[in-house]
Amino acid sequence: MMGLLVLRERLKEFYARYGIYITPVIKFIFSFLAFSLMNKNIGFMTKLTEPFIPLVLALVCSFLPYGAISFVAASFMLAHLSGISLEVTLVMAVFILVVGLLYYGFQPGDSYLLVLTPVFFLLKIPYAIPLIVGLSGGIVSVIPVGCGVFIYFTLLYVKQNAGVLTNDLSADEMQKFMQLMKSLLANKLMLIMVLAFVLALLIVVIIKGLSMDYSWVVAIIAGTIAQLSVIFIGDITADVSVSVLGLFGGVLVSLILAGIYTFFVFTVDYTRTEYVQFEDDDYYYYVKAVPKLTVSTPDVKVQKINARKLQRPQR
Amino acid sequence: MLSEEKIKIMTNLAMFEKHEGKRIFPINRYFKSDYVSSKLFRSFFSYTFSFLSCLLLWGLYYMERWLNTMDLKSLTGTGIRIGIIYAVGLAVYLGISIYIYMKRYEYASRGMKVYLAKLKRLDKRYDGNTRSIKRIKGGRTS
Repeated sequence: MMGLLVLRERLKEFYARYGIYITPVIKFIFSFLAFSLMNKNIGFMTKLTEPFIPLVLALVCSFLPYGAISFVAASFMLAHLSGISLEVTLVMAVFILVVGLLYYGFQPGDSYLLVLTPVFFLLKIPYAIPLIVGLSGGIVSVIPVGCGVFIYFTLLYVKQNAGVLTNDLSADEMQKFMQLMKSLLANKLMLIMVLAFVLALLIVVIIKGLSMDYSWVVAIIAGTIAQLSVIFIGDITADVSVSVLGLFGGVLVSLILAGIYTFFVFTVDYTRTEYVQFEDDDYYYYVKAVPKLTVSTPDVKVQKINARKLQRPQR
Repeated sequence: MLSEEKIKIMTNLAMFEKHEGKRIFPINRYFKSDYVSSKLFRSFFSYTFSFLSCLLLWGLYYMERWLNTMDLKSLTGTGIRIGIIYAVGLAVYLGISIYIYMKRYEYASRGMKVYLAKLKRLDKRYDGNTRSIKRIKGGRTS
């Protein structure tokens, strides 16, 4: 444990010193991952699937704010979708426009969640999103997370039904559009996932704010149980198929990620909790003070002393 | 000669401006009612545009059914229902907007008070240029 705490302090120091370089690198990785995964899964516009395009776009994005990165990612996604079906592009464009106008009009500053949620789905660890977002954000984050789930399942539908949706087919446009809307709105797995994520996020946000010991750990466990419960109930009642192995694997990795996040952000020592009580003219105060667990990094200086042989100049 | 006190206060002010400036200064240029109503105006257009976009999708989805059963009575009924949904949605959205922008204005006002207090502290260092902070009778600092 001590070794991990020292490592955390060293990482903090490292970030404090090189933060100006680390932030663009993180943005680069985030954008590159998003663009590459889009190319791999919905790469319908062949001009954009050249390997250097994600690289160049990610390089540009590493100097942009997260809001602009989300905008570029949305444009990239719409460009790919327009390569297969104008109906899907229209639906997605309207969806993004509505979310952008109604939710991002308030400038909440969490637009990266719209990109991060589908990315985590593609990395098979989506269950980490409600846990980490619940621990780091507020209740309002259910909106971008829910929208991210919708975007992922729409893209998944497009990927699985690429043959039917292709522009070249001479099928009736209106029929295709109706079929698409029907499939999206009746996608039970998507609805269950949205419900599971929203419920888990709400539970995590509520429990982490409680004044009890180990509230963050309890929040993570309760959030995971809530997700699993909703998915299993949905699996039984709505007859959707979820791979149990994938589910447990994803949940396990998500738990580890949430644990790592907690370790870096909220490490406290509950054994040294202090309870104090005092009053002023208007209130009685019952204060619980939990000390943070910190260590100072050992300042090791190795001094190597070499016995030098002084050679006197010979005369 | 460098004044360490002034440098500390100015650094503090600059940090405050950097972190909170965006959330305070653009808002404090307006009266509360002007700020909230200008934002509501924007919210109104955002909502209306979003509603029309969704209506377009909805219209395309049901177009075939409409074309088959075209009749004035059902069209009027649908129009009224759409109008009611629009009005209720608008009222809810504007309610949320009012709540959020009022909170933001209050936050900006509080931030401005803190900023002015910091400025005043700096200003006092200029009054008695060379005087250092020392306690005087009554416990106040000069």
